[in-house]
Order: sequence, then C-alpha cells, then structure tokens
Amino acid sequence: MRSYLLTGAAAAVLALAMNTSASAAAWDGADDLATSPLACDASAPAAAAAKPYDGGKAVNAPDKAGKEISVVDVPKLIGIGYFNATSKGIADAAKELGNVKAKTDGPTEAKIDEQIKFIDNYITSGVDGILFAANDPVAIAPVLKKALSKGIHVVGYDANSTPDAREWFINQAEFNGIAKAMMDSMAKEAGEDAAFGIVTSTFTTPNQARWIAEMQAYGAKCHPKMTWLETVEAQEDNVLSFNQSTTLINKYGDKLKGLFGMTSVATPAGAEAVTKAKECGKIAVIGLATPNAMKPYVHADCVKSVVLWNPIDLGYAAMYVMRAVVDGKLKAGDTSVDAGKLGKLNVVNGSEILLGAPFIYDKGNIDKFDF
Amino acid sequence: MTAVATSRRASRARVFLRHETILAAMLVVALFGLGLFNDRFLTVDNLLNQGRLMTEIGLIALPMTFVIITGGIDVSVGAIVGLCAIVLGYSWKNLGFPLPLAVVCSLGVGAAAGFANGFIITRIKVPAIITTIATLTLFRGLAEGISQAHSVRGYPDWFYFLGQGDVFGVPTQLLVLLIAIVVFGVALDRTSFGRTLYAIGSNEMAARFSALPVDRVKLAAYTLSGLTSGLSALVLVSRVTTTRSDMGMGYELDAIAAVVLGGTSIFGGSGTIWGTVIGLVMIQLLKNGLALTGVKGDATIMVIGVVLIASVLIASSLQRRRV
Repeated sequence: MRSYLLTGAAAAVLALAMNTSASAAAWDGADDLATSPLACDASAPAAAAAKPYDGGKAVNAPDKAGKEISVVDVPKLIGIGYFNATSKGIADAAKELGNVKAKTDGPTEAKIDEQIKFIDNYITSGVDGILFAANDPVAIAPVLKKALSKGIHVVGYDANSTPDAREWFINQAEFNGIAKAMMDSMAKEAGEDAAFGIVTSTFTTPNQARWIAEMQAYGAKCHPKMTWLETVEAQEDNVLSFNQSTTLINKYGDKLKGLFGMTSVATPAGAEAVTKAKECGKIAVIGLATPNAMKPYVHADCVKSVVLWNPIDLGYAAMYVMRAVVDGKLKAGDTSVDAGKLGKLNVVNGSEILLGAPFIYDKGNIDKFDF
Repeated sequence: MTAVATSRRASRARVFLRHETILAAMLVVALFGLGLFNDRFLTVDNLLNQGRLMTEIGLIALPMTFVIITGGIDVSVGAIVGLCAIVLGYSWKNLGFPLPLAVVCSLGVGAAAGFANGFIITRIKVPAIITTIATLTLFRGLAEGISQAHSVRGYPDWFYFLGQGDVFGVPTQLLVLLIAIVVFGVALDRTSFGRTLYAIGSNEMAARFSALPVDRVKLAAYTLSGLTSGLSALVLVSRVTTTRSDMGMGYELDAIAAVVLGGTSIFGGSGTIWGTVIGLVMIQLLKNGLALTGVKGDATIMVIGVVLIASVLIASSLQRRRV
C-alpha cells in the first residue's frame, strides 16, 4: 500500500518536472528585466535616457579623503585565471594610488552562502571598503546593505547586486554588446543556419543568464535561421564543463556546428572537448575566456575568436572608483569618473560605470596579452 | 566499598577522557587563542552573528548524528535543501499558494524526500551511501527541473523574520536551533527511540533479534533528516532573500564533518548530540576566527582539515586505550 503511494507520488513529481520543462519559456536572464538587442549592423546604439542615481549610500562613513584605507576584494571565487587578473588590476591600482591597502579573499568555489560569510567576516573585522563580484544579485544584497549601514563603502564589479545594496558597479561591457559579439562571431564561423549548444555556469548566475537572454533576443532579431539546441549547466568547474561539452558533441553529432562557452572555465573546456573529439574546424567554439587559457586552441586553429574585456582593467577601474568614492570625488549624479591610466569612464544606468566595448581576441592579437 | 570508589574514580576519569570533553577543552583554548589575536572576535555581536550563520548546517547535523549512530549516512541532505527551497518558491510564486501553505509544502517535501531515502534503505535494502548518492542527484535534478533556472525573489517582509530577525537580540534561527538541539538531545539520551538508535548501530542483527523496531526507527531517522533539511532551506531562503536551485550544495559534507568531529563513530553505535554541537561550533568559530585574524579562505579550509584529522586520531587512540 505504502509503496503504491510512493510510486504515485514519484510519478506525480516527475510529471510536474516534465510539464515545466516542456513549457519552458524564453530566457528571462533570471532577473525579470527586458532585453535590448542592438542593431544588426555596426551602427551605434541610441543613447539611453539618463537615469537618476539608484545606488545605495554608506551611512556615516568616516571621512578618509586622502588617508590610507583598507579595502578587501571578495570575488565570486578565488584561484581561477579570470579573478586572478581582476585581483592583479586591483593590486596594481592600489600600488599606483599609494594610500590603499588592498587584499583579495573569497571562497574557493563559486558559492553564494560562502561568499556571504566572507563579506560578513570582513564587516566584523572592520575594513573601509568592500569590492565584490556577486554570485547572486539578490542573495548578496542583505550582507552588502549591512556593510553600508556600518559606514563601509561598497563597489561591485563583474557581477552586480541589486543597485541599492552597493554604491557603484563597474560594468565590464554591456550585456547586449557581448551578446552581439558572440552571435555575430558564431554566424560568421559556423554559418547563418548553424545549430549550436551553450555551456554556462548555472542558469541563475547573473551575467551568464543575462547574456544568454540577450543572445536569444539578438539571435531572433538578426540571425533567425540559427538553431538553439540546448543549454547546459557546468558550474564554473573544469571537469564538469569538459564533460558537458563532450555530452553535447556526442548527443547532437553532425547537427552541432557551434559551441558557446559562457564562462572563462567553460570555453577552454569546450575547446578541449572539441579537440579530443577531433571535430576542430567542424564545430566552432566561441566564448568568453582569458587569452592564456585559449592560446593553445587559437594557435591550433581550433578556436578563431575569444570574446572578452580586459579583466585587469576591470579590477583597476573598480579600485579607482572605490578611492574616488572615499575621497568624495564620485557622487550621486556625476556622469564620469577619472580612472587613472584608463582615462575618464562614463556613468550609465544610474549607478554603473562602463568599462568599454567588448574585445575580440584572435590569432593576430592574442599573444599580446598575458593573463 | 573500595571497589565502588575505584569504579567511580574510573568513570570520572572516563568523563575527562571523553572525546566531547577534550573537544570542548580544545574549543575553549581556540576561542581564547583567537580572541587574543583579534579584539573583534570575542564580541557578543560577532558570536551571535556566527550563531545565525551556522544554523542551517546545525539543523542538518542533528538528525545526521542519529543517522550516523545507526551506522548509516545521508549525503542527500544538501540536495533536499535545494529541492525544498525550490518547492517553497515555486509553490508560492508559480502555483499561487499562500506563503504559509508553501512553507508547509516545502517541509512536507523535505520529510517525503527523507522518507523515500529511509524506505529504499530499509525495505529495498540498498546501502545508505548508495541510496543517498542516487537521491542526491535525483533531488538536485528535480530542483533544477522544477525551477527551470528561475530564481524566486520578493518574499513578503514577515518571512525574513526567520532568517534576519532577532528575538530579544538573539537571531531568530539561533533560537530555532537551540530548541532543536534540546529536542534532539533529549530524544537521543532519554527515550527508547534514542536507545534503539545506539542498539542498531552497535549490532543491527542483535537489535532485530531483541524485537526492536529497527526498520521503523531507521525510517524515522532518515525522515527527520529530510524534515530538518527542509527547515534549513526555509532559514536559508529567509536569510538570503532568494531561492536558487543550487542552494545547499555541499552542505552534506559540512554537516557530516561537524558530526564526526563531535565524536560520533562513522561505524555507528556511539555519539552524542552535545558532541555534534561542539563540533559544529568549533568549525564555525575556527573559520570565523581565522578569517578575522587575516588568514585567507583557502588556508582556513586547510586548517579545518587538519583539525578534523587530529580530532579523529585523538578519538581513536582514546578508544583503543579504553579497550
């Protein structure tokens, strides 16, 4: 009797799961925002309407203008090339400024609850500023608000939180810009009617989810004949990314013409999977990755374009913005900020600072970069 | 007379040599040691905050103690946390349940998941480790399948009381944990249910021949494990204000670490709730104290690993001496 009940319950749950997967709607970027695909040609996007400052404010922060401050950087995780590069940028900027003690510390896996604990501990230990790259935009908000309420300045980079939980966010590239670069590269290399798969971190990781939503919108608008086969999760894990890529290659066989890697871990793993499957040239690999990880595949002609910004510049800008906030040089309503060797950076979307347009690394230029 | 005195002295010595006692002493030393290095560590504010942060693992570690005492293990708890979090969010947002009903649903699914584990282990006789590895992937898969990558946000403010609120200055969830500790402690120490758990772990066959309700008790232990995983999910969602399908990933290892550090034998038959609580507090405060003292995250987990190995070595050498 009991076992019948159990089987029934299991069947019901399975039916529910299948039902939901069948009715899966368009990607919403996991943040309920509208997509804004760019024009299909290279024409410049219309200037967005100016938006008032929507960031938060550190409460009763001590006036440390010009004085030495201690800043901690808590990235999504430590020990991977990408965040080593942002960390280097932060350290470079701190050295250049001369009055900042900066250190990077964070979880060894991209787990939001671990990250929250790290930030919480640094609030207790009493730093002047926190730089972060969020594992989840909403989950990280309470702890960041706690920091603001204790007079600690909070600036995000790479992966945003809800705007009121931090003061500023350094946007490495606008989502629709990355989406356009990715889709255009794929169409160029694999053809306008190509079928492709995507390897991402998790379906809810802020940047990746948003990019995929924008890619879908841009693809529907500018490359309508391309076929979207499947999107798979691989955390930001090397082995898992390789396995998931291999699974996609085996599952779709000749149908699969392209593979997108949405993380700096998934892209080289995807390239490795394509190499091992001896499909180089038949399956185009396009994705976000650091140049060093991609050099072997680019030189072996297995990968033609790698899309990214410069993460060292990203960390560097974050540190400069933090200093400017502490010094009172960047206030709500300002339209630009001075970021050392990067020059003036523009404020967009109320409280974000835009680093620049995405960069495409290829065989011709990749050796000029070392990170 | 003398014989009684000697045996009493021996039992007193045994209390001092008990794993929990040694661990508690180590904990006190570590507390004051870290307190000396950092003046922000031994503050009421910080300690209460750490209590807030360790509740989710703590709630899971309590029934995990029961399960491990029976000689079993449950590695699916982290996945149950993920599934319960998703059920809460999905039934509230997508199915339109009122939030209190969604909470009940979520706890119900947690208990059902635990019951399913217990059912497979006791009736189909699949070893616990294999069963729960299988259900780990099943539950995590269900969580991802149901959620379809959508995280659920925007819970009403009253719901955040559990994870972010205080009662007389004490974090709400810490009170929940304290109550759970007392309930589980009493259940293990003072009831026939608790004694049956030990009996199963010491010798399951003997327990069966003694007409103890072995299967029913094991089923209850795994169901409890699922239920508190659901409770842990509620606390977690309330604390971080959002629901994600990857929630609770890796919790099983943290919970098992606390239980084993607390002196529960992984082979079953011995262990206490108090030991688990000390193990839990030890890991949490070590992590926190080291972080505040400026030790980086990767070095901290190495220290935790060394502490785990050292404590297990001490425990096993003591046991050998006792025999």
